[in-house]
Amino acid sequence: MFSPRPMKHVMIQVLTGDLPQVSLILAELELFSPDHRALCAEHFPWVPGERFRELYTQASGRLQKISRHIPLAPQVQLGGVHVISEQELEETNRWLGQVWERCSAHEEGLRRLGDERQMVLQLEQALENFGELNIDLGLLQGERMFLDIHVGMVPRANVTQLKEAVTLANYLLFAYMEHEKSVHVIVVGPKGEHERELRSVLDTAGFRALPIPPELQHEPERVRAELDRRKLELAQQLQHENEDIRACANELREQFEQSRGILIMAEPFVRIDTAARSAGQLSIISGWIPARDIPRIRAALEAALDNPFRIDARSPSSDERPLVPSYMPDNRLMTPFATLVKQYGIPRYGEVDPTAIFALTFILMFGMMFGDVGHGATIALTAWLARSKLKTYTLFVVSIGLSAALFGLLYGSVFGYEHLFEALWIAPLSDPVRMLSLALQWGVAFLVLISLISIYNRIIQGELVRALFDNNGVASALLYLSVLYGLYNYYTDGRFGIAAAVVSAAALLALLVYKLIQTRASPGERLLVALIETFESLTSYASNTLSFLRVAAFSLNHVALAVAVFTLADTMVSLHAHIITVVCGNLFILVLEGAIVTIQALRLEYYEGFSRFYSGDGLEFRPLRLNTGGKA
Amino acid sequence: MTATAAQTYLKTRARIMAERLFSAQRLEQLLQSPLEDLGREFELESVIENSASQAALNRAAERALIHTLMLELSVLLRPLDGGARGILMHWTRKFELYNLKALIRGKLQGLPFEQIKPNLYDLPALIRLPHDRLLRTESILELLRSLEQGPFADIALQARRVYEEKNEPFSLDAAIDRSYYTGMLRRIRRVADDDRAPLQRLVGTLIDQQNLIWLLRYRFSYRLSPSETYYLLVPFGRRLHQERLKRLVNQERFELVIEQLPERLRACMEGVQDLLGAERRLEAETAAQARDCLRFSQSAVTRSLAYLVLREMDLKKLYALVQGKVLQLSDPLIRIAVGMAQHGSDEQREAGREDV
Repeated sequence: MFSPRPMKHVMIQVLTGDLPQVSLILAELELFSPDHRALCAEHFPWVPGERFRELYTQASGRLQKISRHIPLAPQVQLGGVHVISEQELEETNRWLGQVWERCSAHEEGLRRLGDERQMVLQLEQALENFGELNIDLGLLQGERMFLDIHVGMVPRANVTQLKEAVTLANYLLFAYMEHEKSVHVIVVGPKGEHERELRSVLDTAGFRALPIPPELQHEPERVRAELDRRKLELAQQLQHENEDIRACANELREQFEQSRGILIMAEPFVRIDTAARSAGQLSIISGWIPARDIPRIRAALEAALDNPFRIDARSPSSDERPLVPSYMPDNRLMTPFATLVKQYGIPRYGEVDPTAIFALTFILMFGMMFGDVGHGATIALTAWLARSKLKTYTLFVVSIGLSAALFGLLYGSVFGYEHLFEALWIAPLSDPVRMLSLALQWGVAFLVLISLISIYNRIIQGELVRALFDNNGVASALLYLSVLYGLYNYYTDGRFGIAAAVVSAAALLALLVYKLIQTRASPGERLLVALIETFESLTSYASNTLSFLRVAAFSLNHVALAVAVFTLADTMVSLHAHIITVVCGNLFILVLEGAIVTIQALRLEYYEGFSRFYSGDGLEFRPLRLNTGGKA
Repeated sequence: MTATAAQTYLKTRARIMAERLFSAQRLEQLLQSPLEDLGREFELESVIENSASQAALNRAAERALIHTLMLELSVLLRPLDGGARGILMHWTRKFELYNLKALIRGKLQGLPFEQIKPNLYDLPALIRLPHDRLLRTESILELLRSLEQGPFADIALQARRVYEEKNEPFSLDAAIDRSYYTGMLRRIRRVADDDRAPLQRLVGTLIDQQNLIWLLRYRFSYRLSPSETYYLLVPFGRRLHQERLKRLVNQERFELVIEQLPERLRACMEGVQDLLGAERRLEAETAAQARDCLRFSQSAVTRSLAYLVLREMDLKKLYALVQGKVLQLSDPLIRIAVGMAQHGSDEQREAGREDV
């Protein structure tokens, strides 16, 4: 519960022909994380399955592209799980290729229709524009005796360059209407030797001619009607295209889902990748397995394989520890807390998994800062009612709500009313100093716990010297505790105390010597750095401890906000206004202060807690599995 | 780091790194070195030892050299931020755009995935196009649709016209190059005043070099008309401005174009009679200008960009040298490939008789 499960490095020797089946079995068990290092490369030089991987990559790419047109079900129920042969994968890939050809043609059709529609709209706008000009459009139409005239559109980025270029062919370019991406232009010049040259330049510049209907001058309404008819026709064609693809989707859906199933079953062998190596008929697969599950894997392979196999398991060497994935089995109760912990990082293999500590301390701190029976019960009840939306986070929100309600009982507070019942423990505003001293004690306990975990983690990682002398090590913790003890003595007896002074001085000296040894610099710089770092380790403890004052501060703040709400409500003349003010004020407290307290509790966990002991740079255990949850 | 400190640091960095640039003597020394020594010196041992095929060697050597360039770029980028950083980053996009050209041309010719891939630069993730996604498109139309969705929509439009109207892909290359240089000039306009003018001069020199080569090629090799040639150029050069370019594209003979060049360019192109010779001379001229920037420019980012331009030229030479040695070409031919011998010289003619 408090650290990732012990892992073993395994090397499974099998016949090369059995590799796909072994991959599938391992994926079904979801207990094997491949190790992609080139182990035993001298004896097993080849990485098998290159063609298989190539086929899979192409097929899954096609599947994803097709799924834009034939949506896949969010979950897939695999029927008979079986080993996928290269031939079966090839056939699936070929079929997906054919389907993609149809879908691609559909996409191209949609694009063409979109282009045509754009063209009609542009033409419509251009004609409106011409309508407002007092020119004889007959001049722009058809063949002229002396002038070569082109009316059309050019991509916006090309206009300036084109304008200069056409002057070299004795033409002029006029822009008469601009859009976001294109500009409408008229290009005009003398007929003759440069006509072909101009067409070539226009062509290169992406010029698209706009056909001006001859009827525009005399029968503009007819032209508009014609354009409307064309738009309608395009809309109908678009509808047909969409109906076609829907029909295609309905026709192919079943087989498409089957193909997806085949790819899901082919995927484990692909994911094994370089973790499998072969030398002719013999192959190895290397990876990490939770130590206690090795018998399960052995039994599953024995049951499924006709050919012999061998599993060699060993504990990870000290060099390998950073490569060992941390396996923290899913725990439904802990899932929301684990997600928040993962926001910070994954524990290294062997390190303490902070999820349980995080869950407990977060719930407690939230309750302490937001203690109110009514507010807590509202949060818990709302979370329960919205459980379908909150999903795995339901338990998290219900827990902090119940914690707030429990502390509400202890503080004697319900929806901000402080006198409805007697506090079981203490009303925060009745003794603020006591609240603050309790918060400090909580902070000290939290930091000592965190330091102990930090020391444990370093010992587990084999870093004994760091566990003793580095920040958050034994020396630091002794310094912290002895200084606290001395201060307590001073507060109660007026003296720091010899024992506290001796331990503090010894710990401080040990820290300083360690820093001096560790720092790589010139003597002067080394002394300076060591002094500053030693001082910093003491001040960080002090500032971290004071940070916990916020736990008390927010409990006081909660009451103070309630007092403000009631003061405001009491100024209301009518009972209705009083009630509305109290309700709105409580809602305000719930939303605003609830959010602030959540953030503050998270801050205390991450910055005062995790940053002291948790490197968060571990590797998550991602076992080979059948990916039935969506993507192939 | 303050702006002044960053400028000083970067200038010092560029100065130190400039020591790595190849002098003529250094190139001669490299030419005389055995292949193994070159491998050791430029960390190409694994490339030379392990590459079975010629194609694999080319690819691996190219990758190693680009990797070297990118490492040096990352050092120069460290003290930079904002617009200045954007300039150096944008410069590296030229490799990405080479890839884009290769990708579109490959797809236009209907080449399969396996045949296009070896022609692409293997670039760091920072500047890489989503190659695999684009390579795995199954037709040119699908590729174009993918490109239309991203920042290359204008290029996709040009490519679609090339595809639909079966044109020569000049306009495509021009669209890509123009998009690259206008992007660069847009970024230059945003940098601090002290950096702007020197950067414009350096980038203008690069544009001049490219414009003149393309102009000669379009007009006299591909026989395009003046207006179409002009349309395909990038009219933002340092010495070759719009009006000068218009005058040049109207010339009917190679020598007349050379005659109409501005003084400095004409001097450098004197006696040149063909495109290959023109390329060599212009590259030498660009290198000379870049060296001036590297030594004397007051702008640290200009010095850094000049260094990268020169370093790329050197690494290309090194690449040609390694290739020549692997192919066991004769010394004179390698000299020509590396640019150590004058094109059209007796030496080249001799080499041509021996090897070609």
